[in-house]
Amino acid sequence: MSKVTEKFVDINSMNLKKGELVKEVEELCGENLFGCYQCGTCSAGCPFVDDMDLSPDEVIRYVILDRKEVLNSKTIWLCAACYTCAERCPRNINITKIMEALRQIILRKNIDRTLLTKIAKEEKETIPQLAFVCLFRKNVG
Amino acid sequence: MPLKSYNKKMDHDLGIPLQDDYFYDEPEEIIENKTMPEIESTIKLISERAKKGEKRKIDADVLIIGAGISGMQAALDVADKGYKVVIIDKTSTIGGAMVKLDKTFPTNDCSICTAAPKMVELSRHPNINLITYADVNSLEGKPGDFKVNIWRKSKYVDPDKCTGCDDCAEVCPVNVVNPFDEKLSTRKAIYIEFPQAVPIVYTIDYENCIGCGYCDRVCEPEAITFLEKSEEIEVNAGAVIVATGFEVFEPTEMRKEYGYGKYDNVITALQFERLLSSFGPTEGKVLRPSDAKLPKSIGWIQCVGSRSEQLGFPYCSRVCCMYATKEASIAKEANPEIDITIYYMDIRAYGKDFQQYYDHARDLGVKYVRGRPSSVYENPDKSITIKYKDTLTGKIEESTVDMLVLSTAIMPNKDNKRVGKALGIEVDENGFFKQDSLLTDPIQSSKKGIFLAGCIQGPKDIPDSVSMASGAAAKAIAPIKDRPKNIGKDFPPERDVSNEKPRIGVFICHCGKNIANYLDVEKLTEETKKLPNVEFCDHMMFVCSEDSCKKIKETAQEKGLNRIIVAACSPRTHGGLFQDTLMEAGLNKYLFEMANIRNHCSWVHSDNWDAATKKAMDLVRSSVAKARHLQALSEEEFSIYPKTLIIGGGVSGMKAALALADMGIKSIILEKESKLGGRLKNLHSMFPSDTKAEDVINPMIKKIRGNKKITVMTDSELSELEGYIGNYKGKVKQKGKKKEIEFGTIIVATGFKEIDLKGKYQYGKNTNILTQTELETKLKNNELKEPKNVVFINCAGAMDEERPYCCRVGCGVSIKNAKLISQKYPKSKIYLLYRDMRVFGKEEEEYYADVLKNYHVTAIRYPGDNKPEVILDKKDPKNGPFEIKVYDDILNEEMTLPADLIVLTANTEGGAETEKLKNMLKVPVDSAGFFIETHAKIKPLDFSTSGVYMCGAAHYPKNLVDSIAQAEGAASRAAIPISQEKMKGEGIVSEVVEDKCRGCATCVEACAYSAIDLVPYSKDSTRMVAKVNRALCKGCGSCAAACLNSAIEQKGYDSKQINVMIAALLEEETAK
Repeated sequence: MSKVTEKFVDINSMNLKKGELVKEVEELCGENLFGCYQCGTCSAGCPFVDDMDLSPDEVIRYVILDRKEVLNSKTIWLCAACYTCAERCPRNINITKIMEALRQIILRKNIDRTLLTKIAKEEKETIPQLAFVCLFRKNVG
Repeated sequence: MPLKSYNKKMDHDLGIPLQDDYFYDEPEEIIENKTMPEIESTIKLISERAKKGEKRKIDADVLIIGAGISGMQAALDVADKGYKVVIIDKTSTIGGAMVKLDKTFPTNDCSICTAAPKMVELSRHPNINLITYADVNSLEGKPGDFKVNIWRKSKYVDPDKCTGCDDCAEVCPVNVVNPFDEKLSTRKAIYIEFPQAVPIVYTIDYENCIGCGYCDRVCEPEAITFLEKSEEIEVNAGAVIVATGFEVFEPTEMRKEYGYGKYDNVITALQFERLLSSFGPTEGKVLRPSDAKLPKSIGWIQCVGSRSEQLGFPYCSRVCCMYATKEASIAKEANPEIDITIYYMDIRAYGKDFQQYYDHARDLGVKYVRGRPSSVYENPDKSITIKYKDTLTGKIEESTVDMLVLSTAIMPNKDNKRVGKALGIEVDENGFFKQDSLLTDPIQSSKKGIFLAGCIQGPKDIPDSVSMASGAAAKAIAPIKDRPKNIGKDFPPERDVSNEKPRIGVFICHCGKNIANYLDVEKLTEETKKLPNVEFCDHMMFVCSEDSCKKIKETAQEKGLNRIIVAACSPRTHGGLFQDTLMEAGLNKYLFEMANIRNHCSWVHSDNWDAATKKAMDLVRSSVAKARHLQALSEEEFSIYPKTLIIGGGVSGMKAALALADMGIKSIILEKESKLGGRLKNLHSMFPSDTKAEDVINPMIKKIRGNKKITVMTDSELSELEGYIGNYKGKVKQKGKKKEIEFGTIIVATGFKEIDLKGKYQYGKNTNILTQTELETKLKNNELKEPKNVVFINCAGAMDEERPYCCRVGCGVSIKNAKLISQKYPKSKIYLLYRDMRVFGKEEEEYYADVLKNYHVTAIRYPGDNKPEVILDKKDPKNGPFEIKVYDDILNEEMTLPADLIVLTANTEGGAETEKLKNMLKVPVDSAGFFIETHAKIKPLDFSTSGVYMCGAAHYPKNLVDSIAQAEGAASRAAIPISQEKMKGEGIVSEVVEDKCRGCATCVEACAYSAIDLVPYSKDSTRMVAKVNRALCKGCGSCAAACLNSAIEQKGYDSKQINVMIAALLEEETAK
């Protein structure tokens, strides 16, 4: 059973043929996902893993298995790009870059997870500036 | 003895005189002790030579650098063949890393107990020149004629005088962090590495010595030589074996997230090993460093620094899974309340009995969690919290343990580059030494005449290191095989004492203060003199010193002694030395007895002078009682037929024959099929490279065919066998004809076969379900059609109830074949279903990672209790496609994979002829059909029956590299009796009293060495009686103990001798 329950994008609109997801991700981030040993180091060290639907290692697994619902996962948007995973990965896989590649697949279809206009005013006032910078850095890569 | 004049002594390193005020009053005991003999010393010679600017020159046949278990094995293998060996070690002792370990997997044998006899054997071998505290500087010349310069550092202690009494270390005021205990304890600036060190000579650690001179003043034999100089030695040798071992990764720079060096209770596995060791810092108790309390929970983190493409080393360290399992189970067995968890990625329990050992650890309650922790932090109570993801449940968790052990990587010696440069041999990108060819010549370095043994070319466990070391010995003999050999020592003829009355001489040892300070040596001497038949008794400072031995010899001759007793330490370490003295005095070496008054009296009763003295008197009295009944024993000498029979013409058999031929020894290869090559004939290529199998075997077959020393018999089977080591006669059935052959030793190289899967995974029901061998044959013959989806299923018929073992080679083979299919048909999608990925050898991990990455192989881990299921097509079950249901352990869900080709990695078992050979050779076989070696760790190539050896997959499945190393090792072992030409059996053997023997064959069963047979009784041929083969008997006494009718007597320990000993021990009790 897939752990991704949200339907944020229409996967069919991504124009990804069977088996193409991993190629697309590898092309975008330059990392080789098949080198992953599924050891879980990245997930155990991730500061936001508690709020993720897929842990970082599961994201890799989903991509390898061509499970396109990974694009609907909250994980790729929760990633703060802190590089802890990339730093500790024994296989030298830069998971942060993989997250970015997955976001890019969506962003390049002109779809964004967060719209500034949809954020409530009170939230805008309470959320730190830095959080917004981080969030929207994801839009430009 | 005059007071020492210290003002004449110079600090030669600083060039200034040692100052008088370093030294205070002379201790009384030294002034009192006026009987210390002057001992001739080689130190004088060295300094005189140094003054003249001369180098010491040693002529040898083989130089061995590094005296760990590999170096020692290689040295003994070369020396036993009669060639001269110089072996050096950079530390002050021999033994290497093995002696640091507590126990060894998978047998839990005590490590030091298995290594120490080898160390003693090496130090006493007449053909071995041992130089410790030395390093290699440079090498010139060519194979057969190398000149190697060695730098021997000064120990500042005269090895000829030092007795290892420990007085110096007791008074030394300097504490130094002890590298032998992995920095967990301190030692003194004058030290021996460990109590069983060989040679037992103390060393002054120049860097830390403050020059106070305390040691000099307390040293009774005056062994401290501050003036001794380091010296350069030139060794002429025909071949060089490098066995300098490995280092262990310290995660202080890389992998800092595990807190090593920062948190008190994070230690390395080798440190934990020292905690377990009985002579470690805690004397075998598991105590955590911060508060010296027993931890309630311990965690292990695997692969710290290994299998790492960043912040570590890319290779697998090969031994960590098993040593962690061993350490965990020992700790758990001793303290069942400790909660133990091992965090791993793959458990690599690949070797013989490893999987069973791992299963046993789980049964003991050791928990295994698949997940590599991300980081750890320390709590206020000094416990450690580990953050990890249990990848099998998918949960991110934290767990707190009292102590954390890091299974750190084996890494190349930092000195390798320098040694490589000095010797002119290459190192690989990781820093290990490079082989000439990893696949086909793993022992040969990049330079001819220089060979590699043990962990210097990659991580290895002890049996693989030992096999390789024997192999290196075989290869090193080749360039020097025609040199003169030197077997044994020469002694004067023996005096016949059988008609003399017993005239017993007793020599009592002070062992410095070791004995004399804890019991009354003088009283013991006086009491002993009163015993009947004792003609002479005296006490000496050190009976084992050279001048004392000389005195024993002279006294024996002067007083006409015909029995000698030494009351000192253990016969295990010193018995041989005194027996040599007896032989020098013209006495039979079995007219000797030892009373261990040190270990059994002064050591264990150090707090009770009277009791220790009394016990010593009892022991000496009983020894005297036995000595009266000692008889001269003879050792059976028998000649060796100079030819080896090799059963099996696969790669292992062929390599063994070639190695024997290089040593100048003839062999016969017996192959049951019509062609040489064994399993490799049907294989496509060899893991972990892409070398074609035919490129491996064809040059070998060509070499064998062109070698006059090798006779090849194909289509042949051994049908009958008689004889024993050195004198075998066999009948060979060749195409219906019978031929007789003669040979001296036997190598079994019968290989393995894939098991019958009996329909598991629908095998045999569909033409597209193949085993690995069938796939390889198809690939080789270009018969494989393009598949769309290929599924490899590993561990078919392995690690289950029927066959609880791992096949060792399957993971590698499946990866290699996945790559082959992918290369040929790039569009094919490949799934690899596995349980634990067991790729452990040199370059194997790298190969695996490369295949995953470059060929996009999808690896799916399945649980052992939920095996994949193959569902055949309903319409066309025979040829159609199928579906595979597999439970993905990582995602925790079942998947269905469509496929049109399934490749099963079937488990393996012993070769077809095992059962027949087992009975013919009288050797043991395990339940899987693999032959059982004498000792799983240090004698992996020998059978307990002398003269029979094994190699390759007959021992256990193994890849090409390990098989070849073993084959060359087995050749070395089989060549030892042949090189010696004649062999001597034991003097202490069993003898059957034929009149009493009932022929029940109980002893035949009891004998572990197959030395007893039933034969017709000489006086009545209808009756069968037991007969001991003196060539095979090892004198263990099992048969004598087992005999129901007391019809077997163990010479040297016969009933009478034992009875009088007991009576003598109890004399006082019975008198009351």
